[in-house]
Amino acid sequence: MIDKEKYSKSLARLESIFREMSSSVTDVSMWRCPYKNVQDRCTAKFGCRNQDFDVPQDELYKCLGSDKLDYRSAWDT
Amino acid sequence: MPVVNELLERELEYVTNQGEQDHIRALWDDAHPLMQEISVNLIQGKNQDVYDLTQKALADGFSANTILDDGLIAGMAIVGIKFRDNVIFVPEVLVAARAMKAGMEHIEPILSASGVEPLGTIVIGTVKGDLHDIGKNLCIMMLRGAGFTVVDLGVDTAPEDFIDAVEETEADVLGMSALLTTTMPNMGRTIEAFEEVELRDAVKVMVGGAPLTQEFADDMGADGYGKDAIQCVDLAKDFLGILGQIKTRDGQ
Repeated sequence: MIDKEKYSKSLARLESIFREMSSSVTDVSMWRCPYKNVQDRCTAKFGCRNQDFDVPQDELYKCLGSDKLDYRSAWDT
Repeated sequence: MPVVNELLERELEYVTNQGEQDHIRALWDDAHPLMQEISVNLIQGKNQDVYDLTQKALADGFSANTILDDGLIAGMAIVGIKFRDNVIFVPEVLVAARAMKAGMEHIEPILSASGVEPLGTIVIGTVKGDLHDIGKNLCIMMLRGAGFTVVDLGVDTAPEDFIDAVEETEADVLGMSALLTTTMPNMGRTIEAFEEVELRDAVKVMVGGAPLTQEFADDMGADGYGKDAIQCVDLAKDFLGILGQIKTRDGQ
């Protein structure tokens, strides 16, 4: 069984962590593509001109985006 | 117990603000090493390990509250700090959220047995022709964190798939996302499809995505528009008239 009062506090805390993260996503997205992971690999399911396909078969494509230009114009639409 | 997990100790080095680090360390002061192991695996996004360790912790007699607070949420607090300080980015946050979900798979039956209900059920997907899913995935993370059950239909979702999922799950809310101006009209087409099968009144519809506006959402007949993941959760709560953090079967 779960202590409902404690659980309610836990959810409030988790939601506040997520809210803080979500509020900074827009800022981060101004200077870095949100699909680019910490290893500068692309996690997108769509094509992008910044993708470098020269990687082993089971690895994510490298991202060649500079983060200085608007990355969205490189996305395949 | 102080932090004894070497990998967790290494993760704590990313928390450079001393006051913040002291506060976070204190979360594990009374926590068993197994909770630290759950935390570190969540931070590293190892969803199968989080799944297995949560199962083990429950079998060892730890309460769901303890696992949630000292294992899962304590780990997510570090993920939040690493993201804020640009040590990790959105993909790593989403991987950690997936690990959190893996652990929650063992907690949810206990919640249900204790009379705690999900706040509601939400079916969500990126519309037909659109493969952009970061915004949708952030919304899902937020919604699950707030206590909703979320059915993720993924990307490139046809109207009939939205309809089937809403019917099957008796969802309270339908969420649609689009990033492209070329695929935005598919939101309107999906709403029309719901009208055709006379399901439109059974579900609240919220829409979101970078090119959308409140005006466009109103024109296509959506019930709400969220410009980001935070508004997405607020809208869902608003639709369902939710004021508190949890919903119980006995209405308390």
